[in-house]
Amino acid sequence: MALRPQATEGSGRENRFARNNTMVKPGLQKIYVILGKQDEGQLERLCRTLSSLFSYVNLTSNLYLVTGNLPEGMPWVERIQKDVSAFLRGNLFARLYVHFVHRVPQAVTEEIDFYFQYYYQSLKRATREFDQEGYMHQEVPRLMLLPVIVPDNEVEPASLMGLLDMLKSAFLLPSLYLDMGTFFLAQDEDLLARTEKVYYGHGNSGEPAEIVCNLYHQDIVHDSSAKLESDAVFMTDPCPPALIVSARDGMVYPCIDAFLKKESLANIYENLSVDDIMARYYEHGNSQRDCLGCREGVVESFSDLPLPKAATHEVGGLLYHFGTLNQEAENHVRAIENYKKSLRLSPIEEAASICFRLGLSHTRTGHHDQALEAFNRAAPTYHDQDYFHFHTGLCYFERGDYRMALERFSRAVRLKPQQEDLVRILIYMGTCHNSLGEYEEALVELERAKETAGPVKEIFNTLGFSYFQLKDYDKAIENLTRAVEIDPYSAIDYASLGSSYREKGNIKMAIAMYEKALTLDPNMISARENLERLKGQP
Amino acid sequence: MNVLLIEINPFAPASPPISLGYIASFLKSKGFTVKILTLGEDTSVSRAGLHQLVSSFQPALVGLTAYQRTMLYVIGLARFIKSVNTNIKIAIGGPQATFMPSVAFAELPEIDYISRSSGEVTLLGIARAIENGTPFSDLSGVTYKNASGAVYETADLEGFADLDSYPSPYLDDVFDYSCMSEAIMLTSRGCPHHCIYCYTPHAFKHKVSFHSVDRVIEEIRWIRKKGVRRLWFADPNISFKPARLIGLLDRILTKGLETEMWLQTRADLVNPEVMKKMKRAGVSTIAFGLESASERVLTKLGKHISVQTVAKAISLAQSEDIEVELFTIFGLPYETFEDALKTLEFVKKNNVKIMGNTNSQQMQIYFGTHMARKYEKYNIRPLNTNRPVYLSIGCQYETDHMAYSDIQKIQALWRAHSRDRGRRIVS
Repeated sequence: MALRPQATEGSGRENRFARNNTMVKPGLQKIYVILGKQDEGQLERLCRTLSSLFSYVNLTSNLYLVTGNLPEGMPWVERIQKDVSAFLRGNLFARLYVHFVHRVPQAVTEEIDFYFQYYYQSLKRATREFDQEGYMHQEVPRLMLLPVIVPDNEVEPASLMGLLDMLKSAFLLPSLYLDMGTFFLAQDEDLLARTEKVYYGHGNSGEPAEIVCNLYHQDIVHDSSAKLESDAVFMTDPCPPALIVSARDGMVYPCIDAFLKKESLANIYENLSVDDIMARYYEHGNSQRDCLGCREGVVESFSDLPLPKAATHEVGGLLYHFGTLNQEAENHVRAIENYKKSLRLSPIEEAASICFRLGLSHTRTGHHDQALEAFNRAAPTYHDQDYFHFHTGLCYFERGDYRMALERFSRAVRLKPQQEDLVRILIYMGTCHNSLGEYEEALVELERAKETAGPVKEIFNTLGFSYFQLKDYDKAIENLTRAVEIDPYSAIDYASLGSSYREKGNIKMAIAMYEKALTLDPNMISARENLERLKGQP
Repeated sequence: MNVLLIEINPFAPASPPISLGYIASFLKSKGFTVKILTLGEDTSVSRAGLHQLVSSFQPALVGLTAYQRTMLYVIGLARFIKSVNTNIKIAIGGPQATFMPSVAFAELPEIDYISRSSGEVTLLGIARAIENGTPFSDLSGVTYKNASGAVYETADLEGFADLDSYPSPYLDDVFDYSCMSEAIMLTSRGCPHHCIYCYTPHAFKHKVSFHSVDRVIEEIRWIRKKGVRRLWFADPNISFKPARLIGLLDRILTKGLETEMWLQTRADLVNPEVMKKMKRAGVSTIAFGLESASERVLTKLGKHISVQTVAKAISLAQSEDIEVELFTIFGLPYETFEDALKTLEFVKKNNVKIMGNTNSQQMQIYFGTHMARKYEKYNIRPLNTNRPVYLSIGCQYETDHMAYSDIQKIQALWRAHSRDRGRRIVS
């Protein structure tokens, strides 16, 4: 038996091979349809459009039919199901999952038998040929009817369970859609165990447009998780190909961002062929939408929902990733928001890494107290990492607490950082000592840095400062000269050279150096004042 | 002449089809232009996209890989391709085709050839016959239909005993590396054993053929250079010749080609030395075939391995911190419900995670297996006698010891213990 290692649907990993191996335009993975009111003309036009669109759907795809209430949507669903069956009959390689999304008021769940017989039985009957085909071929049917129940806020969990059980027994695997009015149902584990999937969303209007939004958003969250697990670089990609069709006004939208901004591709009630609509769709795919921004916004919107633990952790992980992206883009305010939310949603084991990142961004925005608080929370996990102590030290340094900074930098050095990092830390240590007036100690660190690193400007100018303070002007001049050799455009180092020459009594050289500094930076007040003072001397 | 090779499996993620890769590489070396299309559950392609691909590539021959569970989809694709151009010839090959009864042709009007022998050589014969217009009767390893629908079977055909005679799909860059995170390696083919439920020994006439270690090393080096960092060895028993495997691992280590690897082998073909080397070379997961933890059942399967041997192999792998996967089967002949429970308990007791390939599956009675020929002898009762002729009994059976409802119960139990709801990538 040769079996593939697991890369399962459950794991949600994105498959790079599947993305690219066909060399043709991608098929639509999902079509969301907002069903209309009872209008024969609209229904006819919608069905014609969908029948043609089926040629553009993925070999395995999903059709969401969203209606306000069952009696209103039923004629539409029955008619669309016939067209789906016709498509599948003619294309044996295709599979379609039809998700029928509708509200279920409390009154309905009290009369489950009637409800089931009247509505679902006929839908199920129409799929019988595919059930039979699946049985003969020892596989799941190619047409699956998957009801998504939208309960109202007065529904009794027990009666809802009865409906779910009945649907499941007829192999109509039910899912549940919960919004702000029905989140309380998520507490009922028995109820959730009877569902294939639970969708969560904002609002509580039960309006089809709102439901579509929430379903789409949840798909974006899952797609983002899959991308993150596979390769985060895919995160900037558009979400999987999908269309939103509103039968109410005929508008077709290429994605949820376009739907919310009311940027439609076409109107199916106008005379435009599906081929033309799809040509526009593929054109839209190449346009420059802010897909990453859309993803981030969607994920963020889930941070306030009372999701189950696994979903909460999923959102927490994604927010952490968006935090890192914002941090890399130097957008630390956004990064802090992401990290704070991620910290609230992620499992406790992740807290240290989030806190460390949070500390970095707080440091960059000058919020040193918050940064230190975050670093302290990360400390138990990071205490043996040199970079952790360096960044904590940097935070103290920028706060002006040089003694604490030195203590942290020393810890970092003891952990034997890589050479480049060691040099950086030693320079900071030298600067700390200088700031504390400990020039001899500064020299020790800086000379060690010089030995380790070779020609680094920051070492020489800091050394220059230390020697100047110790009145060893020859050494100061020697090091500052090296600094300007490395960076001939450093006005401050020329000015420091000027001061060193002045103290040595070499006024001519001092004037020359101040003049050079002012040539490079005419606004350097200290150099100008020193120059004027020297020129004013007899 | 253009040849299109397709593997469709809507129940699993798409992955590089190594067997089609070999055929593509071989046909290319003989002057054909070949394209491979893999359609998995996550492949993004539509009917319109397929139409565009077939119309623009204009293949004269399409080869489709057939498995029991994908036959409906294979037929669907064949029908679709004929609807684009009736002149395109269609061959099916792979596990389902090798031993499919010829009478199945009556239910497969869109299929022109059933390839029954070595895929590379058989498909080359078909391609050349189409290109040159030579008689099909000259072909080997094929069942074909003439214009009036009469079915003919040709003589058997042997593939090359030395696998190095086949060009490498990797060294020939048959696959697009930019979208490949894992490469499937096939360093040997066939199996000499006699497990009654398995197709492989019969398909390869109980022989095993090999690639040289040099060739495998050359491929690994090339694959790594292309940025692929995970290897999956599809060999039925990679340690069939222990010295060869040790030689391969040594070369990986001395050449600095350590790579994350998945491989499968028999539990009685590993020892501490091999396991240590595997770990050092990068083996992260090893899969063993347990099938059943009931010695009584196991002895009936012709596997000639003991439960204790498997337990030792698991412990050996775990002591090296190598993840273990166990292939197990329920619904076996002579297996009672209690026997099946014993298997589940064994997996749990030995700390093997129940997920991925360790999710147990019901025995499938495939064409070509001993079980398919002799199922009555094992008191197997098929449940659907009206199935299409191109399908074997598969999972639609019960036994004297387990009713279908018992089999379903066991399946549900495994699923309940599974960490990933029983998802498994089936061969």
